[in-house]
Amino acid sequence: MTTSRHQGTMPPMPNKDDVDGTWNFLETGVSRIMENLREGMEMKTYMGLYTAIHNFCTAQKAVGTGGFNNNTRGGAHLLGEDLYNHLIEYLKAHLGGVQQASKAHVDEALLAFYIKEWNRYTTAGTYNNHLFRYLNRHWVKREMDEGKKNIYDIYTLHLVRWKEDMFLGTQKSVMASVLKLVEKERNGETIERSQIKSVVDSFVSLGLDESDSNKSTLDVYKEYFEKPFLEATAAYYQKESKEFLAENSVVEYMKKAEIRLDEEKERVGLYLLNEIMTPLMRTSEKVLIADHSLALREEFQILLDNDRQDDLARMYKLLARIPEGLDPLRGRFENHVRKKGLAAVDRVSQDGENLEPAVYVAALLEVHTQYQDLVNKAFNGESEFVRSLDNACREFVNRNRVCKTGSTKSPELLAKYTDGLLKRSNAKMTEEDDMENLLTQIMTVFKYIEDKDVFQKFYSRMLAKRLVQTSSASDDAETSMISKLKEACGFEYTNKLQRMFQDMQISKDLNSSYKDWQMKLLGEEDRKLAVDATYSILGTGFWPLTAPTTPFAPPQTIVKTYERFAKFYSNKHSGRKLTWLWQLCKGDVRATYNTGGKKATYMFQVSTYQMAILLLFNDSDTVTYEEMEQATKLQKETLKPSIDIMVKAKVILPSQDNAKAEPGTTYTFNPGFKNKKLKINLNLAIKAEQKQESEDTHKTIEEDRKLLMQSAIVRIMKSRKKMKHQMLVSETIQQIKSRFSPKVQDIKKCIDILLEKEYLERLEGDELGYLA
Amino acid sequence: MAAADSTEKPFVLIETSDGIEIRVDREVAERSVLIKNLLEDLGPEAAEQGAIPIPNVNEAVMRKVLEWCEQHKKDPPAAADDDADNRKKTTDIDEWDQKFMQVDQEMLFEIILAANYLDIKALLDVGCKTVANMIKGKSPDEIRKTFNIQNDFTPEEEDQIRRENEWAEDR
Repeated sequence: MTTSRHQGTMPPMPNKDDVDGTWNFLETGVSRIMENLREGMEMKTYMGLYTAIHNFCTAQKAVGTGGFNNNTRGGAHLLGEDLYNHLIEYLKAHLGGVQQASKAHVDEALLAFYIKEWNRYTTAGTYNNHLFRYLNRHWVKREMDEGKKNIYDIYTLHLVRWKEDMFLGTQKSVMASVLKLVEKERNGETIERSQIKSVVDSFVSLGLDESDSNKSTLDVYKEYFEKPFLEATAAYYQKESKEFLAENSVVEYMKKAEIRLDEEKERVGLYLLNEIMTPLMRTSEKVLIADHSLALREEFQILLDNDRQDDLARMYKLLARIPEGLDPLRGRFENHVRKKGLAAVDRVSQDGENLEPAVYVAALLEVHTQYQDLVNKAFNGESEFVRSLDNACREFVNRNRVCKTGSTKSPELLAKYTDGLLKRSNAKMTEEDDMENLLTQIMTVFKYIEDKDVFQKFYSRMLAKRLVQTSSASDDAETSMISKLKEACGFEYTNKLQRMFQDMQISKDLNSSYKDWQMKLLGEEDRKLAVDATYSILGTGFWPLTAPTTPFAPPQTIVKTYERFAKFYSNKHSGRKLTWLWQLCKGDVRATYNTGGKKATYMFQVSTYQMAILLLFNDSDTVTYEEMEQATKLQKETLKPSIDIMVKAKVILPSQDNAKAEPGTTYTFNPGFKNKKLKINLNLAIKAEQKQESEDTHKTIEEDRKLLMQSAIVRIMKSRKKMKHQMLVSETIQQIKSRFSPKVQDIKKCIDILLEKEYLERLEGDELGYLA
Repeated sequence: MAAADSTEKPFVLIETSDGIEIRVDREVAERSVLIKNLLEDLGPEAAEQGAIPIPNVNEAVMRKVLEWCEQHKKDPPAAADDDADNRKKTTDIDEWDQKFMQVDQEMLFEIILAANYLDIKALLDVGCKTVANMIKGKSPDEIRKTFNIQNDFTPEEEDQIRRENEWAEDR
């Protein structure tokens, strides 16, 4: 145990009743703590100081010591005020000296001085707080309990004195040094960060809550640190950004600003108080972004034109940080996408009438895909930009050069494209995954189509054809497409499509039970002669098909065949009427040629009409046009093209080359027929027919729309009973919008029709009433 | 005082006012906030200085106080002031403490003074409660007798005080 300390010896313990003696004793100890704590302290001194305070405070002689205010209120009088006041005087004097000494330093040296003094002072404060604990526990506590202002526990007292006698006089120069240091760092120099951190901590510690000394506030820190710090930040970046932009491009500036913002954010974590994050970011954002937002936005169009995704992403991130920063971009973006979409359509529309649906849809999708990608990658998939994209796409999908004649062109082409995909004839058999992707893409365009009813019309017609002609590539793909449409437009939209699909399934079962029935009923001879046939039973209401427009007398063999089936069917479902859709029927005819001793068998795939014509040649090698007309009962419009195809394929030969299919022409069976393929499809759709069909479809759309509007109006009126004209119109638009965009004029016409039909009546004013 | 040995509990030496050194586990001694703060403030170097001088408490009282500290060394640290208020309001004393406080009056007051000085709040409370229990249910005269106090009121003064405090009396 070695004691080699160079401490002055403490004076002898004072008399407990002697205020001055006690304070003199304490002052020696307190100043040793304040100034020489580094040299350590003896336990004896520590205990001596504590005991002197204890003894003083517990001295019996509570009355009449010194001239201080005696409290005669209830309860025992507690001593201590003298010591407390003496301590205050001591601290004032000490801090006065410290503040004076601080004036000798500037910049980093001042910071070092401030921090050193602060640390020394607060350590001493902790000591004193413990030594004066008896005072804290009794006199201070009592004073505070009684609500006295400006009485603090001894440690807090130290802070209060520091703030008053040291801080207020030096904070300006201290802050100036801090800001200089930060500026140095912003300029790229390495600085002693811990200095700033210590200053921050010190300022924070001085935030005392006047009403509750146990709590602290950030008031002092906010006023004396945060405020000047933010001001300096704003000034620094104002200058820097202005200078930088004068010499560099906006793109470079955005990079710079991004880096600067990151740096400031990092700075908070390194040596600032977390509370400054929000105001510091806001200040930096204002100076670095908001103040230059005009220049940034000017650059937006250029970046879009050059497809600079990274720079656009940077711009988005920057402008997203300031309030309403992005709003002006959205309009420009929407405009840009619309223009791009229209331009893409312009490019492909040069083919005019012959525009391939696939080319058109691809053009639409390309623009959408490009900008959706941009929205996702550069604009973070932000919903407002998604909306702008949607608006733009809706515009260029529905109103472009191809749709010049009417917005119904887009849905028609999309439906045709879909048909092409789902058809088996589609040369490249698409992989299942690919198919799914393609269908999803179709739905993307579909989403933007305003005339969804037109798409429905075309789609259902083409689906009907695919089903009847069994030319559908895959049931799975068909189902998937229908369920996608259902998801997008609801049950009603796809109801008929689904029923069509079901009919085909039922027909399959029906055919196999018909086969069983035939096996049982027919003799072997009959079976041999029977034509192998499949039947599709299609519910009248669900299929967009109509009975043939031409009369037709089927060949005898076919008559026998279908009559047998009809018998079977009416057994099964009595009361149902079967109508034969001859125009959709087809069959295979085998023809055996025997030329030069060589036997050749060809299979002709033909329509029933063609079959009827061909079968006539079984009886005679030459058949006249009139005979054909007579036997088949077909009208000229159907008969002629049916013949033409077979002539073109050289299955039959006209009496003279280039003879038209009309009365007077005679046809001969061509015994020398030759073809590389053994199976020849003669059942080709006729161009004119296709066009006709498309026109028909458009025509029915107008009719259907009228009905749709009328039924919507009636539905609304039935539930409302009475309604203003104007309200009814807008409500109707609301209801129908998902199918197509109705014109107000058309709705008014429909209302007039309903008034005439006495579904509605005119009431007083502008009101309409419902008539049950 | 020795540096904390891994096998041995850290201890401290205490020197009482009558010059007796007592060795005690640091954990026990630190029930006194005074000693705890001192050890914290002066740090490990204080160990070289030998015993902690306690000038206001003699050996007999110190041993008694340390006995209490030993018993209560595992108590949770003093609760916040608000909770203490609750404890103050009841005069219940746990069994061990009651037994502990069965000492002559002089010793009882010495313990209270020492607890106050050494800053051992819980012990101070127990002491004060014990005194409070001695007063409870007694007439002023009985109280005077218990604590050997001379009545220095004049009959007039006494009468006035009684009237002033009438409202508080049990009826």
